[in-house]
Amino acid sequence: MSERLTKVDFSNLGKILFPKRGITKAQVIEYYIKLAPRMLEIMSDRPIVLTRYPDGVEQKGFYEKDAPQGLPSWVQTVKIYSETAKRDVNYVIVNDLDTLVWLANLAAIEIHMPLSCVEAREKPDLVLFDIDPEPPATFEEGITVALLLKEKLDQLGLKSYVKTSGKKGLHIVVPIQRNYPYYTTREFAHLIGKHLAKETELVVSEFADTKKPNKVFVDYTQNSHGRTMVVPYGLRATPEATVSTPLEWMEVKKGLKSEELNLFSVVKRKKDPWKGIFENRQKLEVK
Amino acid sequence: MGKNLKTATIVKQETNQEPSPKAPVPKRPIWTGSLTIGLINVPVKLYPMIYDRAFSFHFLHKTDGQPLRYERVCTKDGKIVPWEEVVKGYEVAKKEFIIFDKKELDAMKPESDKRVRIDKFIDYFSIDPIYFQSSYILMPDKSNDAYGLLLIALQKKGKACAGRITLRTKEYPAIVHAYKDALILTTLRYSYDVADPRALEELKQLKEPAKAELDLAIKIITDLSGEFDITEYKDNYREKVEELIKKKLKGEKIVVEQPVKEEAKELMAALRETLQQLEKK
Repeated sequence: MSERLTKVDFSNLGKILFPKRGITKAQVIEYYIKLAPRMLEIMSDRPIVLTRYPDGVEQKGFYEKDAPQGLPSWVQTVKIYSETAKRDVNYVIVNDLDTLVWLANLAAIEIHMPLSCVEAREKPDLVLFDIDPEPPATFEEGITVALLLKEKLDQLGLKSYVKTSGKKGLHIVVPIQRNYPYYTTREFAHLIGKHLAKETELVVSEFADTKKPNKVFVDYTQNSHGRTMVVPYGLRATPEATVSTPLEWMEVKKGLKSEELNLFSVVKRKKDPWKGIFENRQKLEVK
Repeated sequence: MGKNLKTATIVKQETNQEPSPKAPVPKRPIWTGSLTIGLINVPVKLYPMIYDRAFSFHFLHKTDGQPLRYERVCTKDGKIVPWEEVVKGYEVAKKEFIIFDKKELDAMKPESDKRVRIDKFIDYFSIDPIYFQSSYILMPDKSNDAYGLLLIALQKKGKACAGRITLRTKEYPAIVHAYKDALILTTLRYSYDVADPRALEELKQLKEPAKAELDLAIKIITDLSGEFDITEYKDNYREKVEELIKKKLKGEKIVVEQPVKEEAKELMAALRETLQQLEKK
């Protein structure tokens, strides 16, 4: 090859990864290349975990914390002791385009990141509210709750950002200063959830109630060490190749369809609603 | 019968000496499901256990060292046939085929029900190893207690479980036995997939040997009797090839040039664009 644009050696580009939509690995790689500038801004410096689907999303994927075998020397990793595995786990850090492309070439369709960076692992810089509707409640009820939550955060003077989960829920995050341990952010998210539950029949705030039908759980438990959320613009292993898509708040309204935000449509979106999110790190003060 | 004796001999073979080269450590399960014995369910994961570590070589073009690829060529017009135009044919008579498309064949394949169904407990040594096909390591899947219980119970009773499993799209008879403090699942061949030597006429005409000859043969066997140690056996060819590879690595190596395929071209264009964007930042 005369010019060397990437260190990655592509393999099996024609392999179908999303059979229902006939999406090949080449298309997945192309998607991640195109979204890379927006993704890297947020996922950099975070030890990520993967679910790989080498035989496509209709076959069972495998969850991988450890950096995959055959790790090229230029891929950055960080060793972190895992309490569940009782050993040091070698996590991949995605700070450049090559690493993201390399992951895509490994059919790492789902990429999840923690809410804190490597340099301050116990001090998250995001508070996550994971809005999770329990059927028959749907994405539409999720939207209702997301908007109520935003209102609540607005009242507290906190700027929040929203994305679809790529499945049936929504993720709302508040960028914060790295001054608070996870138990504080968790308590904070829980408190907001409790307020919402008190005001709105639709919302439940307690883990024990998550399976109550037709309720929407405002999940605060993800604000914990070792927990992760799917990266913004991350693909989901769904038949429709849905994307966890960052949205403008004005887009979050009745009629928004989660499944319409997929590999094909998201790549055309020019907006970057989460741009500069970390230039707006806020203090957590509940008055 | 000398069953206990047999068991003792077999245990002795399993020395803790690491064979060289080292056996691989399986990294991830190839199947998850559960072992069901009546109403009892033990969730398990299946890890590969048997590795065929023959060398695989690639065919290259002698003049420029580039890899070769295969094409499917029509025997009539010599033209290359794309995969979309390929179907499967079953030869019923010479050059007469019944045609199947992929859908027809797929519809008949059994689905894995994610279970190892245990029918009964048997004596492991009552099965002729001729029927053993491949072995897998069973690991507990958040079922350590039940797994441990079954393992110890099998060890104590010296029994194995017999049942069936569907792997990929094929159902196999299978047995589960205790080995080196783990449960091992071994798929078996069907009885009708193993030839019966009694069907061969020649073997029916063997003569009774003379007594003196037989005595001599038995003496030789006795003199050469010993214990079997699998680690004494090595693939000499493999070792020689490995050595040669090391030598060649020090010297000249053929570097493979990657041709840019049509689909990779689009990726290159996307890469170029993104790299520009990232540079601007």
